[in-house]
Amino acid sequence: MKASEDSLRSLMIRSQSGDKQAYTVLLNEAGNWLRRFFSYKIPADAIDDLVQDTLISVHRKLASYDSTRAFLPWLAAIARYRWVDRLRQTYKHEAKALDFDIAQESHEELVGARISIGRLLNQLPAGQADVIRIVKIEGHSVSEACAMTGQTESLVKVNIHRGLKKLSALIESE
Amino acid sequence: MNITINNQGFNILQLVNDLKPVKPLNAKPTLLVLLAIAAFALIAISFVRAPRVDLLAGQPTAMFLMRAGMLALLGTATAFSVLSMTQPSVGKHSNSWQIALAFAAIFPVGGMIAVMTGDNTLSVASTASVYRCLSYGSITALATLIPMIYALRRGAPTNPNLAGWLTGLAAGGMGGFTYSFYCPFDSLAYTGVWFTLVVGMASIAGRLFVPRLIRW
Repeated sequence: MKASEDSLRSLMIRSQSGDKQAYTVLLNEAGNWLRRFFSYKIPADAIDDLVQDTLISVHRKLASYDSTRAFLPWLAAIARYRWVDRLRQTYKHEAKALDFDIAQESHEELVGARISIGRLLNQLPAGQADVIRIVKIEGHSVSEACAMTGQTESLVKVNIHRGLKKLSALIESE
Repeated sequence: MNITINNQGFNILQLVNDLKPVKPLNAKPTLLVLLAIAAFALIAISFVRAPRVDLLAGQPTAMFLMRAGMLALLGTATAFSVLSMTQPSVGKHSNSWQIALAFAAIFPVGGMIAVMTGDNTLSVASTASVYRCLSYGSITALATLIPMIYALRRGAPTNPNLAGWLTGLAAGGMGGFTYSFYCPFDSLAYTGVWFTLVVGMASIAGRLFVPRLIRW
């Protein structure tokens, strides 16, 4: 049975005043809600980690909940921030990695890059989106991307670098 | 009751055991601190600069009233928006800064027009007065940044870049407001260039430095 907004809000207010029993129920219910929330956004194998990160953030930012407001939008805002922060870190890491070896990727980075990337790529110029899709998502090498897009090797690298930077900015501003 | 969150052993009881009563964040104390800093800056500047003649005579000029009022509005409305960003929720975020910024834009736009149509105040104003405008305004802005950053660090701002811009904008507005009591120039060109520079510099500094301080 899903907890209602009113009951979650009431549990949160009691948790803010130090009621550990209410807090236990709240975190369990929040965990269930977050699993459903993230299931539409990220790969299944990344959900547990993000739920855990979000619950820790909920714990650290308990005072930021305004008890005159609804609880679930607050929880969603915390969850979204954690999700976006993870994406930002992934892109930041990837942009740095480009300086060393543009073609070598770990599985973890690729999973991160795939997260919800399709919609964001549509907001980039075609030249940048194409090479990010080919190299970062489909796993082709830079030279293969050159052949597929007609761009020079240095242009592919520049477009990937600029595109990832723009993606970070887009994620942050959303 | 299910208390294990995932298969890596994370257990919410760890968080429950760590629970302590918390007081929900309240913007009012920070707003009061900001007003106190602005008041302190007004008094502190009076030790090194005489207030404007029109103020001493009790007859403030229209330009002074408009400029100080606009900067006060920009500073407080934007600070209010910054503080509302400490509590993430739907429908709560204050957009008052957008209205204040739209009104304040009259100064840089009007200043540019004044310069292009022959206002020569910029060439008349001494380097020392420009330096005072920039330095006093910026120092006050810097002082007001601190309580806002502190409030953001305690809260949960979900858009650090925007929070950075707005923190700088609010600080610049307050810095410009305090110095406007001592700035002897009333021309639109001077206000449009140098006061805009104070606000602009503070905003850029806020965007550059605040986000990394408030990420959580």
